[in-house]
Amino acid sequence: MTLFIQQLFDGLALGGVYCLAAIGLTLIFGVLRIPNLAHGTLYMLGAYVTYFFLVTVGVPYVAAIGLAAVVLAVIGVLLERVVFHPLRNAPHTHHMIAAVGAMFFFQAVAQAIWGADFRRMDSPISGSVTILGAQISWQRIVIVVTAVIVLGLLTWFIKRSIHGQTIEAIEQDRTGSSLVGISPSRVSMLTFGLAAALATVAAGLVAPINLLAPTMGDALSLKVFAIIILGGLGSLPGAIVGGFTLALAEVMTSTYVSAAAGEGIAFAVIVLVLAIRPTGLFARAVQR
Amino acid sequence: MAPMRIRPGATVTAAVCAGVLLATSACGGGGGSGSDTIVIGYSGPLSGGAAAYGKNIQDGLQLAIDELNNQGVTVDGEQYRVELRSLDDQYAPDAAATNAQRLAEQDDAAVVFIPHAGGIQAAQELNSSRTEFLLGAYSSDPKIVEQGNELTMMIPPSFESYAEPFVDKLTRNGESRLGLLGTASEYGQEWTKLVTQEWKSRGGQVLSDNSIDYGTVSDFAGPVSRTLAENPDVIFLGGPSQPTAVIIEEARRQGYEGSFLLMDQAKFEEMEEFTDPKNLNDAIGVKPVRNYDDPGTEDLLDAYAEKVTKKRPVTSEVALNYQSAAIVVAAMEQAGSIDDPTAIREAIPDAIGEVGEQFHVSGFPTEITDAGHLRNQDLEAAYRTPDGEYEYLPIEQPDE
Amino acid sequence: MTTSTFSPQRLGTLLVALALLLAPLTLGGQEYVLRVLTVGATYAIAVYGMNLILGLTGQLSLAHGGFFGIGVYIVGLLTTDYDWAFWPSLLVAVVVTALGGFVSGVVALRTREEYFAIFTMAMGFIIFLVISRWESVTHAHSGVSGVKFPEGFGLLDFSEPIVMYYLVLLFLLGAAYVTHAVRRSGIGRTLVAIRTSEDLARSIGINVGLNKQLAFAASTTFAGLAGGLFAAVQGFVGPSAASIDLTFEMLMFILVGGLGTVLGPVVGTFIVLFLFEFFQDFEAYRFLVLGPIIVALVIFAPRGIVGYLNAFVGKLRSRGTGAGTGSGGPPEHRSSDTATDVKETL
Repeated sequence: MTLFIQQLFDGLALGGVYCLAAIGLTLIFGVLRIPNLAHGTLYMLGAYVTYFFLVTVGVPYVAAIGLAAVVLAVIGVLLERVVFHPLRNAPHTHHMIAAVGAMFFFQAVAQAIWGADFRRMDSPISGSVTILGAQISWQRIVIVVTAVIVLGLLTWFIKRSIHGQTIEAIEQDRTGSSLVGISPSRVSMLTFGLAAALATVAAGLVAPINLLAPTMGDALSLKVFAIIILGGLGSLPGAIVGGFTLALAEVMTSTYVSAAAGEGIAFAVIVLVLAIRPTGLFARAVQR
Repeated sequence: MAPMRIRPGATVTAAVCAGVLLATSACGGGGGSGSDTIVIGYSGPLSGGAAAYGKNIQDGLQLAIDELNNQGVTVDGEQYRVELRSLDDQYAPDAAATNAQRLAEQDDAAVVFIPHAGGIQAAQELNSSRTEFLLGAYSSDPKIVEQGNELTMMIPPSFESYAEPFVDKLTRNGESRLGLLGTASEYGQEWTKLVTQEWKSRGGQVLSDNSIDYGTVSDFAGPVSRTLAENPDVIFLGGPSQPTAVIIEEARRQGYEGSFLLMDQAKFEEMEEFTDPKNLNDAIGVKPVRNYDDPGTEDLLDAYAEKVTKKRPVTSEVALNYQSAAIVVAAMEQAGSIDDPTAIREAIPDAIGEVGEQFHVSGFPTEITDAGHLRNQDLEAAYRTPDGEYEYLPIEQPDE
Repeated sequence: MTTSTFSPQRLGTLLVALALLLAPLTLGGQEYVLRVLTVGATYAIAVYGMNLILGLTGQLSLAHGGFFGIGVYIVGLLTTDYDWAFWPSLLVAVVVTALGGFVSGVVALRTREEYFAIFTMAMGFIIFLVISRWESVTHAHSGVSGVKFPEGFGLLDFSEPIVMYYLVLLFLLGAAYVTHAVRRSGIGRTLVAIRTSEDLARSIGINVGLNKQLAFAASTTFAGLAGGLFAAVQGFVGPSAASIDLTFEMLMFILVGGLGTVLGPVVGTFIVLFLFEFFQDFEAYRFLVLGPIIVALVIFAPRGIVGYLNAFVGKLRSRGTGAGTGSGGPPEHRSSDTATDVKETL
């Protein structure tokens, strides 16, 4: 039972991280219809930039994450302008390879600046609390709480604010939106900036319980795809449900089946879901 | 559909095809080095997930080469400069083999170092039949010398020599339950198998295998609590030092008080930088390089701090390759040849005794077996006591 | 269509073929380049497979590296652990990947476009996980060494790299020819009809599902064949031969060369491979340069090198005598300038 509680909390913390990363990916997909394979490297860069502010510059933890999110938002916008904007009318094969090119580049940049060896980033939040016999570290609780807060703010932003509403408008009807004066180009930039910032928050939160390495985003990249497929490409609530579901499935499978099965579960989910529903669970009407 | 005469467009098409040819011949023509240079080849992971590991080995080789050039290298009466030529293979066997061939043919490297078992085996397919080069094999997997390749020099001790003394040491107080939490790499799997056999042969109980890929798992707490849930007395773990340190820390945080049996990839000196050293108490692993008092140890530590970095300690990856680069060059001097891999390999037994003392840094080899394994008869393991002191225990090496 | 014997495209094909045939003779004992060429030729065969499914039906299969890996491992394991000869092993590899593609296509092809890409990416990853973890059969990360060379029956010695090269080249020419033939055939036209509009194709009585499945099976067969040859060329196989990275490399080859073209896969594969080799001098930093080059190629030459040349030839021709504008003109004329148009003649 203790083990179960322990795994439940680990799963929730992991779910929080997955959600934050997956939402960015799903927003990009919803607005630009790009399967952004470089998303994992934005997450990786986010972690390193947070590390830079926290360890090298020495600002407090929360501020470091905030500053890094701003820096990454700028990088996200640049990525959209330089790489994906010129490709806006190209088929998804071209996006994928361009993303792979960007991925190579970002990883090489991280290695050139910070080296290939692992880095450790300590957060000021230490210690743990005992819940029903299980040891839960505060960092994990912070991850879950922050994820919930950020998701709340994001939902408010998209539903209530003018800028946010333009994102949803574009997602729903690109032509109609441009007719009423929404610039798809601006929305694309906004989306990329937002997605990169969210990935940074996820990375900044998880880095203290893990390690930094230029390849840290690779595994995440594939998993977030599983999440957004599960939740329906472009769907925000879907990404949230998908993030937590997949994280829990992963943790529980590794606990009660085997570690290798836990690693494969994300891909089994993709195959299973798409085999049954070729357009994903919770799929919305897809505009072309 | 098309007219019958040649159109200008064809020239462009032709140009591209010519380009392919040109690229081919450009690659074919390049390379080679001056006659007064000895090129040592190296193909390892310089980018990607294992880049830090690849860089360590590269540093070890480069430091040795710098030192050799300082002293001057004379082969068959002629002065030479030694030069390291490195290529990136991202840990892929096929890329390593291609690189080795390129180094041997274009840069005239008679010796090529490769630091991963897959790449070594792929290169052995080549140097046994086609392109000749002596393979400096940095992998503690014994199968790289079991296949009878005549041009292989295996650098580190075989990991098989560790399992028995490690298990011996950690079962002295009747410990019987072994938890498995190694890394899911090739190497980790082999180790897990070996330790499992050894543990069972003494009637101990091996608990469920919780091996995870240290490089891709984003949260170690889960696997650790799964392992602890079965109440192990000893936990086997290890992969790259840094994640290993984090896992050990997590286990201690969750209240584990037993011992750790560390596979040789994880290094105490690196882990001490990553976690409170107290967490590492009651663990057995390989002996830290700085704890050797060989004649050259201090100098290597200084040179590393000065030329490479002060932030990381010297590990056995650096030290062992530092030694072996010196052995290879000494073998060239003995053989009187810089380009005959067979002669160089045959000269190694004599060369070992001729290598200058400053290259003796961490258990310098005392012999090379017929199969090509560099061995040091006084190999020691390190046990970090519950008080944080290091104890050293001798390791018997299996016959080959 | 007149029965012309001389067009720029033909000249191009002839030149590429000649270059590949004569390349080994210019090397003067540089076996390393020969190795890069041979490995490149095996990749190119797999890339032709990708070209079939992607260029003709517009579906991007990211399981391609996985099927390549299946071919690699079938030949690798059968010729070592089970001591089979090479040729029957290769045959098994081809049959298994063909069936595997056909059967998995039943499910995979229910999805479309991005979903198909992601579905097959997951499939590819599962194949990789099985190969890299199923220790008792595949030896997992330890890999398999000592893969046999093809048997030459006393006529040819395939342990000679140059003989092996020409063998692979022969298969490569076969792959290029099949691509050419499929495009000309009814099946090719059927597939294009499906790519243009599945509903329309269905309404005129085309069995969409079966045709797509056949195209998918053909593509995985190419991958399996290429994998089997790759195993023999290398002599040693490890799980990286089935990795998702390989799939993306192949996709890169095809995009650089020119999607849907007959020469694109081979031109793209060799150019990118030699770029990779060339930038080795940058060691750890080579991807600082290669990354942007890849992005730039995709942005500025979205139709690939061969596609670009075709368009160029077409433009010149229409500016010239106008002779080529007869029955429908050269096909590249029909394509608009968007990158989605991947049908080229070359």
